[in-house]
Amino acid sequence: MIGRVHSIGRSFYELLRRPLARAFESKQNPLNQLGALTIFFCWIVLVSGIWLLIFFRTSVSAAFESVEYLTHEQWYLGGVMRSLHRYASDALIITILLHVIKEFIFNRYRLNRWFNWVTGIPLVWMIFALGITGYWLVWDQLAQYVAISTAELLDALPIFTDSMAGNFMSDELLSNRFFTLMAFIHLIGLPIFLVFGIWLHVFRLNGPRINPPRRLMAGALLCMLLLSVIYPAISHDKANLAMAPQALRFDWFYLHVYPLIQRWSPGWVWILLVGISVVLTIAPWAPPAKKTTVAVVDLDNCNGCKRCADDCPFGAIEMIPRTDGTNYTHQASVTDDLCISCGICVGACPTATPFRSKSALVPGIDLPNRSAASIRQDIVDQAETPSDDPRVMIFGCRDDRQTEIVRKAGGNVVTVRCMAHLQPSYLDFVLSRGHADGVMLLGCENGNCDYRLGADWTEARIARVRDPWLRKRTDTTKIAMGWLAPWANIANPVKRVGAFRDALRVTEGDT
Amino acid sequence: MRLFGEIAAWATFAVVVGVLSVWPRYEMMDSGAAILTLTFSHAAQRVGECRTLTQEDLNELPPNMRRPSDCPRERNPVHIELRSSGSVIYQDLLTPSGVWSDGKVNIYKRIVIPAGPHELFIGMNDSGGDSGFDFETRARVDLQPGRNLVIRFDELSSGFVIR
Repeated sequence: MIGRVHSIGRSFYELLRRPLARAFESKQNPLNQLGALTIFFCWIVLVSGIWLLIFFRTSVSAAFESVEYLTHEQWYLGGVMRSLHRYASDALIITILLHVIKEFIFNRYRLNRWFNWVTGIPLVWMIFALGITGYWLVWDQLAQYVAISTAELLDALPIFTDSMAGNFMSDELLSNRFFTLMAFIHLIGLPIFLVFGIWLHVFRLNGPRINPPRRLMAGALLCMLLLSVIYPAISHDKANLAMAPQALRFDWFYLHVYPLIQRWSPGWVWILLVGISVVLTIAPWAPPAKKTTVAVVDLDNCNGCKRCADDCPFGAIEMIPRTDGTNYTHQASVTDDLCISCGICVGACPTATPFRSKSALVPGIDLPNRSAASIRQDIVDQAETPSDDPRVMIFGCRDDRQTEIVRKAGGNVVTVRCMAHLQPSYLDFVLSRGHADGVMLLGCENGNCDYRLGADWTEARIARVRDPWLRKRTDTTKIAMGWLAPWANIANPVKRVGAFRDALRVTEGDT
Repeated sequence: MRLFGEIAAWATFAVVVGVLSVWPRYEMMDSGAAILTLTFSHAAQRVGECRTLTQEDLNELPPNMRRPSDCPRERNPVHIELRSSGSVIYQDLLTPSGVWSDGKVNIYKRIVIPAGPHELFIGMNDSGGDSGFDFETRARVDLQPGRNLVIRFDELSSGFVIR
């Protein structure tokens, strides 16, 4: 059932991914950087907000005028900053929504990822609270509507002795202190909690992507800047509690739920909001995902080098004091609850080399259900399978649709859990032992790797900038990396293999 | 070519952000309507009479709990009724807050009515009897479209204020 929902979601997601994949390189594609892009928009909101704070006056009588001053008198800077503040806040709602949808439909919210998923839910509440209190501070007619509706919503909770909405009887009776409280919540209280919440959201990840690539940041900033200049944010008329706000230019990103407060009732809106939050919170366990077999440490082959711990995308490996009495100081230890059996630790282990002949291929850390030895055996078996010349050994990610397409087309395919599961010496093994004339890696592109860092680590190891690196003797022109969206139908991996084969022919002709 | 694609993608994103941040407009009520906002807190009368404590009663109490009279804790529910030109447009029987029903009654109600002239009547019974309203006020108002008329109860003057 849930798999069907994921599948339908992926079909819709594909409609958005295809045009963006044509417009952007994989690493620059906003869909592959949604979390980092959200944080970048937060930075724009923060910096522009600091400028607004300098001129903003936190009182009922002066707030509106100070925002008007910024918007009209200081339009060239204050007005642009205000618009940036507004539009970046709106933009991050889009990126958050896509981020949540993407993680859901690609099943990246269960097993060890439940923590990131669940800690993201209060972040969404905080972002909305920030947006709502932000609209409040302008104290125009939209602010009046937001303030009264929010107060009605809060009054539905049995926590206040007096009606909060009753504070908005008239302009004369409205307290400055109440307004200052809102300013405090928006300017200091919520931002502090938000920063802590973001830290909590990512702290269990190894090397979380906090900043998007520079080109993407430049594009996002320029986009927001041009929108701010061409279509600056302006206020409604000043709030007037003697009159009800009419025909409001509504920010649907933040205020979409507000009309329901009047159409239903505040109580039903709470039931809706809390209900959605509860459903999202229990989603990682509804139904419980099948636990995968975790990586196993073999102390006879582990020298405590720490590479597996450094490369594990989810911090599932920690280095603990040695327990077997050998002279090594540390050994790797796998935290079962955090391990999702991606095999990246095996790809990082120097002992997972297929060249071992004097002893059995048992690395310091290995996956019981896809051992390093089984990969070596598959390579040998595939090498004996007839193939077109020049022969290309293809490594593909498990369960990947692209890999399946190539396999059905008759390619010599060896599957691994993740491309970074493959220790670089395997590439050397294939080429130096003559198992194939070229190696093609059909992995999941950056930002679409189920295990987050597969493409990053593989590229870095082959580029010989991250340990364990590819041997210098290995000719990298005989290695092709085809990073693909794993579920996509459009990218034709068979054509890529054919093109690589043509390139190998040219190389061999030259030599 | 890719650059054009990037520009087109960001332009589309900007349009989505720009449009949905202001459009479609939202109208919370018809243009020919006005609002009556009924809002106040009021402590109703207690369910029984207070009894003045005798010196003997006081002697039996610990020093820190001695008080001149002993009153029942519970308060009456508050019956409130709002009429416009003779028609009841809102009425409710509100229970005092608190576990022992000894707190104030809080009311906040927004009522959308057609703009124009209205003969308003607001009455409140907080004594629990059937003797009609303990407090009542009448007023003739002419509401402009969009007007938000607040009706509150002023404890000092013990009467409703319509403004």
